[in-house]
Amino acid sequence: MKYVINRLLQLIPVLLGITFLSFAMMRIAGSDAITEMYADKGAVSAEIINAKRAELGLDKPFLEQYFIWLGGLVRGDMGISYVSGKDVFDTFISKLPATILLTVLSVLLTIIISIPLGIFAAVRHDRFTDYFLRFFSFIGNSMPNFFIALLLMQLLAIKLGVLPVISSGTSIVSAIMPTLTLAIAMSSKYMRQVRATVLEELNKDYVVGAKARGVRNSIILWKSVIKASMLTIITLLALSIGSLLGGTAIIESIFMWDGVGKLAVDAITMRDYPMIQAYVVWMAIIYVMVNLVTDLLYHLLDPRIRLGVAE
Amino acid sequence: MKKRLLSLALIGAMTMTMLTACGKSESTDSASTETAATANVEKSMVIGDTTFNAENWEETINPHVTYNGWPCIRYGVGETLVHYTDTMELEPWLATSWENDGDKVWTITLRDGVKFSSGRDMDAEAVKQCFEHLLENHDRAPLDTKIESMEADGLTLKVTTTEANPALMNYLGDPYACIIDVDASDFDNGIVAGTGPYKATELVTDDHLSLVPNDYYWNGTPKLNSLTIRTISDGDTLSAALLSGDIDAAYGMAYEAYPNFENDNFQFSSIQTSRAFFASMNMTSPVIKDDAVRKAIAMGIDKEGFVATLLDGHGVVGNGAFPDGFSKFGGENIKTETYNPEEAKKILEDAGWVDTDGDGIREKDGKKLVIRWLTYPSRQELPLLAESVQSTLKEIGMDVDINCTANRRDFLADMSSFDIYASALVTAPSGDPQYFFTTSCVPGMDYNFGAYENTEVTDLINQLSTEFDTDKRAELAIELQQKILDDNAYIFCSFLQMNMISKSNVSNWTAHACDYYEVTVDLDIN
Repeated sequence: MKYVINRLLQLIPVLLGITFLSFAMMRIAGSDAITEMYADKGAVSAEIINAKRAELGLDKPFLEQYFIWLGGLVRGDMGISYVSGKDVFDTFISKLPATILLTVLSVLLTIIISIPLGIFAAVRHDRFTDYFLRFFSFIGNSMPNFFIALLLMQLLAIKLGVLPVISSGTSIVSAIMPTLTLAIAMSSKYMRQVRATVLEELNKDYVVGAKARGVRNSIILWKSVIKASMLTIITLLALSIGSLLGGTAIIESIFMWDGVGKLAVDAITMRDYPMIQAYVVWMAIIYVMVNLVTDLLYHLLDPRIRLGVAE
Repeated sequence: MKKRLLSLALIGAMTMTMLTACGKSESTDSASTETAATANVEKSMVIGDTTFNAENWEETINPHVTYNGWPCIRYGVGETLVHYTDTMELEPWLATSWENDGDKVWTITLRDGVKFSSGRDMDAEAVKQCFEHLLENHDRAPLDTKIESMEADGLTLKVTTTEANPALMNYLGDPYACIIDVDASDFDNGIVAGTGPYKATELVTDDHLSLVPNDYYWNGTPKLNSLTIRTISDGDTLSAALLSGDIDAAYGMAYEAYPNFENDNFQFSSIQTSRAFFASMNMTSPVIKDDAVRKAIAMGIDKEGFVATLLDGHGVVGNGAFPDGFSKFGGENIKTETYNPEEAKKILEDAGWVDTDGDGIREKDGKKLVIRWLTYPSRQELPLLAESVQSTLKEIGMDVDINCTANRRDFLADMSSFDIYASALVTAPSGDPQYFFTTSCVPGMDYNFGAYENTEVTDLINQLSTEFDTDKRAELAIELQQKILDDNAYIFCSFLQMNMISKSNVSNWTAHACDYYEVTVDLDIN
């Protein structure tokens, strides 16, 4: 418990550091919400532009702007979006269900695909099925997400007409294509990792010893090897979950999936600072929490790993 | 044997997973087919649009917020007092007539029998209330319209401006001036009650807008039972959605996707707009101050080649500040330099710019002829224009150093950092010429990026700002364009040709020069 509280307390300096850095980086990037608003839309007088900047507090010095935002955060107020004029927290929360659904589905499908196939490839090491699976994992790894998305669109929506191109709300049907896209890419990567980890375990002395004592291969595989391999697999999955919960901007844009990734990219494009900061806070919390849960799982799977004690 | 069984079990598990996914998709498909069948009977239509999003400052359809008036008028919810013709001249719409006392007072007569979608009559009192709300909430409207006070009497609205404003009626055709029922509008959710053929029932920013017919519409009966505007920000998705039938029409298709739709299943509606891609010469730059250099640049840019090759013909070659055929002051009335590299070379030679070291770039007084070309990437045409110019000006011995950056404001603030600024601008959004000249050609004005100054031009602009006669305004606009082009202070390279693509069974979905009118009462699908 003390360990968990300590880890949660570490979140405070992480949040302060990361929010300050992101605030500073957005200023260094140049432009601001007002410049982006009036660019290309036609000539607008400096009087209007200055009035708008003052309204949003963009005329204040950088540090003052940051501390005003931080003061709001401490009071539980994440501010108002420069673009929509709506509450940042409410807007952000409204996008989370879509992101969480996509994360859960794609991680589940990835597990269903990559773990059995990875184990299978390891068991059938250097045989045809192993080469066959490795070949496809190479292809999956070498194709960027957006390309897989376009291929799926072409096949499933345009040629076969079995799925819609654009999502209609946060539903399972709309989630199929983005889930498949993410799962194909992730499975290709994880299948190889699972294969390597299982192979490593299979070559360890305890496996040789067990075999020598006449223990059945299936028992060695399921009761010892898989359990020992889970540590690596959980680390990989934890990183992926963290990344997926941060949204997958390209996939969300392509499939019109209304999640936080697209929200963040739009916010960056429009220099919507309060929204960007909300995203940064969310990402920091995710990674701290995911790492915490992973550490706890480590301890659960292998009690030799002692939490909060220096090696 | 057991290994085989294990293998088979794994393959079986994978197959089941895939089949489950396909099974779900099949049931989805049958559901969507069913919906489509019902929709055909009920005449339902979906339009995909890349611009209807917060990124483009179109988060809602409340015209009194930034640029939210565009979707309000585009999707048939709002209408304005005046309407623009295809040549951007004014014609009556919700107002039947208007007159000015030669100074600050305008008397506007409203159309009888018009109701809002809320059922309320559109009379002068409602319009006055709408404009008061507009002036209180909108950023640009107060300065554009200069409205000081209004008096409502039945169907007559008397408007007094703070100073003579000959372009007032043009501004009242801007999307922000859509006439809405302030009392019936749900401003918190961005939904307003207008007088257009459709009324909004649901709005989810960056996702969709649902519309149904306005039962009180004054000018006919809408043909569709329901209309959905889908925000699709990605160009590839827009193309795939139209090909797959998810949407019936698309706005904002990327040029490279056009070949997919050049067949009998689809149709294009195209029109030239007044969005100009043009270069402003930095008149404070030592090299640009040289008349011969400016003239040679004007003669060294191959506008036709740029439009034909890099834009693949999806543009219109520019001449003046407004496209050919635009109102009474279009580009056909102007004479400017045409592409003539040989003549450009001669002009530079005569001015002392000679390539002495044989590297292909001219020099004068030991200084190379380098032009720093500032532009930005958010308009896909601008980087292409920069590349085209770089290539053709090299032929005449100029080295073009391109700075294509989203942070162009930082560079514009430092006049010593660029020689030419290329940008995109709708030069006459309200159909009136004054807007471009006052904002872009008067010293000290915000959009006079090149610090251009010509007292004759400034005097003519002042004359234009107080001239009420439309024919005389057109004459002044022509004279002004000719003068700024004679100075070679601006080069109007091309104008955007807007294309809207729809399935062949869609009718009356037509592109308009001002880009405001998209959904009309006649829009239909068969």
